Amino acid sequence: MEVFVKIERGRYVDSLETLLASSVLNDQPGIEIGCAGMATDPGKDVLESVGLLTEELKTCDGSCYIIAARAESQAAFDAAVDEVEANLAPEDSGDENETGERSCPTIRAAVAACPKANLCSVAVPGEYALGEVKKALNAGLHCVVFSNNVPLSDEREMKELAWEKGLLCMGPDCGVANINGAALVLASINNRGPFGICGASGVGIQHVAAILHEAGTGISQTIGTGGNDLKNEVGGIMMLMGIDALEADPETKYIALIARRIGDLVEPAILERISRCKKPVVAMFMSCDRAAVEKTGAVWARDLDDCAQKCLAMVGKTYELETDEELAAKAAEAVSLLAPEQKYVRGAFSGGTFMDEAMRALIPKVGDVLSNCPLKEEWRLADSHKSVGNACIDYGEEEFTLGRPHPAIDPGVRKPAILWEAGDPETAVILLDFILTPPGHMDPVGYVLDDIRRAQELARDAGRHIVFVASVLGTDADFQNVSAQRKKLADAGVLVCRTNHQAALLSGEIVRQKKERDMHGLR
Amino acid sequence: MDCDKILDLFQSELVVVNVGPKLFATALEKQGYRTVQVDWKPVAGGDREMQKILEVLGGLE
Repeated sequence: MEVFVKIERGRYVDSLETLLASSVLNDQPGIEIGCAGMATDPGKDVLESVGLLTEELKTCDGSCYIIAARAESQAAFDAAVDEVEANLAPEDSGDENETGERSCPTIRAAVAACPKANLCSVAVPGEYALGEVKKALNAGLHCVVFSNNVPLSDEREMKELAWEKGLLCMGPDCGVANINGAALVLASINNRGPFGICGASGVGIQHVAAILHEAGTGISQTIGTGGNDLKNEVGGIMMLMGIDALEADPETKYIALIARRIGDLVEPAILERISRCKKPVVAMFMSCDRAAVEKTGAVWARDLDDCAQKCLAMVGKTYELETDEELAAKAAEAVSLLAPEQKYVRGAFSGGTFMDEAMRALIPKVGDVLSNCPLKEEWRLADSHKSVGNACIDYGEEEFTLGRPHPAIDPGVRKPAILWEAGDPETAVILLDFILTPPGHMDPVGYVLDDIRRAQELARDAGRHIVFVASVLGTDADFQNVSAQRKKLADAGVLVCRTNHQAALLSGEIVRQKKERDMHGLR
Repeated sequence: MDCDKILDLFQSELVVVNVGPKLFATALEKQGYRTVQVDWKPVAGGDREMQKILEVLGGLE
């Protein structure tokens, strides 16, 4: 194997495209490891960390687009590069898009070309986000900002400007927002309805909105604030604006608020604002005690499922979830298929929110849960590529996504986990989450079905049976269709739960019952 | 806070200026929304020193 490179000076390819290109490159035959991207300093750091930074590449700067790979031959590299180029979106030629608009060199030019523009979606490297957001706000556009790694001082500055101008600034690091029926960034497509949601957790918003959709109601608007909005340094500016906006919006009859952790200096301001809200509020604030929330007049919610159920109760609806007894019966059936040596649950997640939720549900049933992002530092896995005991791994973490897109867009990041975990004779349960969104993979379940089947065959040959448990977040309005994705899993023998929390409870119950059987020497 | 501009947004046709990967604009178009793509690239090819000079000269847009 030898390192081969292709350098194109003066060509710019955006970060997501380069990440997708890297994924395609690494899937090609004859390629041991490869990387595509702009030769910026962080880009060169990535190349160095994987042993691809040649002397020639060291001389390149941020204006060079490079493809580098350790390949078995020049021919294999050339073929792989051809495949990468074929998969890359065509460079913009200034042609009209599907809706007849031309591409523009700047935000100002875009607004001049299309005066009806009213929202700007910003997904540029974090260091450039403030500049672009300020241009958009100054042009009178509301903003949704997907960029992450934005300094908190930059976030505060853009949100103060938004506040001053009376414009939304959703994010930075905003993964989910639904405005006027449109699913922005990585949101799901939802029915419209009377619930306005404002939250600092993208998956949290998406989850509650999906349950409302599935129960036959829906959302007016969802406003993602970005995960850092409620930190003391930012001050909860967008959460406060979001509450104001949803309270003033005539289509919003009920408000749901979602946050994991709220800064101690921010919490009193948020609670005070809720206490003045003229519309019914359900609040799921993980770090806030129940009495403090209830004192504001809001309905307190324990977790995301509870938040959705309490919203539904306001319109006389409910979302059927399996009872503890039903989960226990399902678990007992699964336990009867396990071999003596199988005793652990292994979770492979495409994001942190669901992994956290799952670990919290697992711990009371199975005890310590090890992880690459553990709930307690002493539960940190020594090696994120090797599960030990009961373990959950977040494949959205940088150690897996360095040089590749997030698993919500590229399910290939998590794909190897299924066979890794199934290869361990102690694995009893493999717990998976799937998340649907318009920019995401069109068939994330189909993408891993072969691996699930292969894992089951390998286990069978060794006298074992792996129990797969999964949940799918999305709606039947999503292009991938949540019902179709769930059916594919069920048809492959996977135990499909309606929510991630339930999937974790079922997985934990299987492991708990198995341990009980083993302790009593039962088979 | 004065919510007039936000309520205006809620009551208008959504038209999105997309700064960054086209994947997001394409996803919105597939849902039937209008988008305008900005061909964003770092000013001065990402050269920090040159960016500072351009900023002083008012050359950043």
